[in-house]
Amino acid sequence: MRFVWFWTFWHWSKESFRGGSLLRNPLHGVGSHWDEWFRHEALESDLRAIAEAGRTESAQRQFIAWLYLHWAHEANWSGNRLIPRFVLGQLAPLSPFKEWQAFDEYRVSYGIGGIPAIVLTAESSGEAEDIRPVEALTLPADTGPKTVSEGFRANAAELETPHRAAMNVLSGKGLLIFLALWLVGGQRPYPRWLKTLLGLGWLSASGLILYLLVGPEPGERLFSFAATLTGLWSALGIVAVTVAVKQCFYAWRQGQRWSSRLEQSQVRLRMNGGLTIKGGSAGLPFCLNMLISLFRADPRATDRSWIWQRLGRRLRAETNGWAATGVVTGDGFLKPVVLEPKLRACLQHAGIKHILTPSQRDASRWAVARLIHAMTPAILKSEPDMPTTAHAQLGFAAEERRLVSHRCRHVAQALMALGGFTSGWQKAMSALAVAVSCLMLLALQDLLCILLPPRAPDVVAPASPSPYYLWVSLDTKHPEYFEVVLESKYWSNRRAKVMRYSGADASVRAEIFLHRLTGQIARDGEDGTVWIERRRRFLTREYASDERVGRYSIAYLNRLVHD
Amino acid sequence: MSTRISIEELLRWRAARAEAEAPPAPRAARLLEMARPWWEIWPERFQSFVERLGRIQVAYGHAMAEPRQSHTGHPVPALIVRAVEELETSVRVLYLNVRDGRLRLRFQLDAATVQAQESFEVTFVSDKPERPLLSATAIFSLDGEYRIDTELSEELAHGWEPLKVTDRMPFRLILCSDKDGG
Repeated sequence: MRFVWFWTFWHWSKESFRGGSLLRNPLHGVGSHWDEWFRHEALESDLRAIAEAGRTESAQRQFIAWLYLHWAHEANWSGNRLIPRFVLGQLAPLSPFKEWQAFDEYRVSYGIGGIPAIVLTAESSGEAEDIRPVEALTLPADTGPKTVSEGFRANAAELETPHRAAMNVLSGKGLLIFLALWLVGGQRPYPRWLKTLLGLGWLSASGLILYLLVGPEPGERLFSFAATLTGLWSALGIVAVTVAVKQCFYAWRQGQRWSSRLEQSQVRLRMNGGLTIKGGSAGLPFCLNMLISLFRADPRATDRSWIWQRLGRRLRAETNGWAATGVVTGDGFLKPVVLEPKLRACLQHAGIKHILTPSQRDASRWAVARLIHAMTPAILKSEPDMPTTAHAQLGFAAEERRLVSHRCRHVAQALMALGGFTSGWQKAMSALAVAVSCLMLLALQDLLCILLPPRAPDVVAPASPSPYYLWVSLDTKHPEYFEVVLESKYWSNRRAKVMRYSGADASVRAEIFLHRLTGQIARDGEDGTVWIERRRRFLTREYASDERVGRYSIAYLNRLVHD
Repeated sequence: MSTRISIEELLRWRAARAEAEAPPAPRAARLLEMARPWWEIWPERFQSFVERLGRIQVAYGHAMAEPRQSHTGHPVPALIVRAVEELETSVRVLYLNVRDGRLRLRFQLDAATVQAQESFEVTFVSDKPERPLLSATAIFSLDGEYRIDTELSEELAHGWEPLKVTDRMPFRLILCSDKDGG
């Protein structure tokens, strides 16, 4: 077994904790416990083995690798990948590790990375040094506070509020806001070909709707158009709804898990510099880094949730160019802060390309552009005075500064920006899909009546009590899809819509006002035929119909009992 | 004149000069005075510190909804004495081990109220009756932590051996800043 000395220390720590000599558990007190063990408890053989392990940088790195791969696993920390980093960070400033070169990187940082906060020192008007890297690390809860600051001092409330905001984004109203934003305009987990296909599908559906509304008379092809439109919309809708529901469910379930994990964890926020934080503008980066620490602790947890997986991947890979500022409330909303010196600090820092700010006027693109212009040296702003005879060209190697400000009202919007979810294409597709779906829902009955026509109705009582009217009462539940046509040589021909009438003679009927022809051919007032015709319509348009589904004589209708 | 001089001669010359410039050795009475603990030299001052220490009331109020965690420990009242100020605070005992007549103790100062410094001269004062127990140097270890490694009298070693870090401590602390102390 390698590095037995570390196991000896670890078991001493566990036993001392169990025996009541140590207050903090072996993990949270690892630095202090090591210091005590190394000074007073380690045997000569242990010290020799430790010295041997630190003899070369390669041997030191082997110990680090062993901590990651073996110790973390055997000590049951495999569910949290950050724990070996924490242990290394705690050991790094202590003997003998403080002399080990391989520990250099752990002395100033846990090596997790994170979104820097913009914390101005007193009197600073915005310098590159005011961009301060922040790291967050989640550990199993200890008896101490839920959020611990390392390398800086802050009011407990200023750490507690970002913690509550992070919980809110994982399992509260904040998650709903995040999912709603994603549903409206967030990238979907489709491969490119499917994305193109679905886009074409929605465009085709909208094209078909337009054709049915304003195109030429479809005639016999109406059925196939209606069938295609209904099938296409159903398929697109099923895909969109299934993906959205599935992803929202997975995101919600994972959010619940992370939320309870965060609840049962201690978050350690590290920001070097020994500052005492006054004000809450570091709340947003603190909150975001707490979320990042959860993603990093167990990246495999996001496997089923594409949304968290993408966010986690982006946060692991691309936090370097970002900075954040904003006072965060417990429910995740952002409040304005003093911004100009912070923007100036970002512009002074070569690595910062994006800044997350609260939604305030001085964070607009125009305001940032104005600040960039004000900070640009005069020589870069104006055309240089070139002698006309000179052939040499001046080369300005200074890179033009760019800073994209992402204004957010809520932490959820910051996550959208960080995850690169916002997509103009998806927004357009969502708007199109919503418009098409609204029209389809309004026209659903019309389409169903084209595809599955209701049965032909029978004429029933009541008949008209007045000799001036002909009532054609029908036993149908869909009066709007039928009309009645009177053809007679005695009465003028008329066409009437079937409607639902209420009152004393309530029925579904068409009422035809009887008007005698002046030069009638027939002499009999009962001459004539009443036809029942199907109406085919789509929203506001009614198509020409030649489908007659019933035929009755006026004599028959007049003899129907008046109820 | 020859400028050559051997190393041996040079060293002798330097030692003779150092002896000549050194202050006179203190007298025995002065040595005895210096060996006395500070509370015997300034009893009134000690008494005022003890009275102030006795007035510090610190205890955790467990108002949380969850069951009480067993490993919270008890805060120990402490008075930090500096040349310009005296600060009432409390410390958290992180490690306590009494073995072979030696006390090894680690405690943590509240980092929010106290600036870290290299070392303190710590005086242990018993609760009741209030009397000084021992004095030892606490050296800064890491992250607001100080460690003490000192010998105990037989009586104290016997009394403190069964103590656990989670027990209520039978002492309070006066922490004198080294550079301002005395």
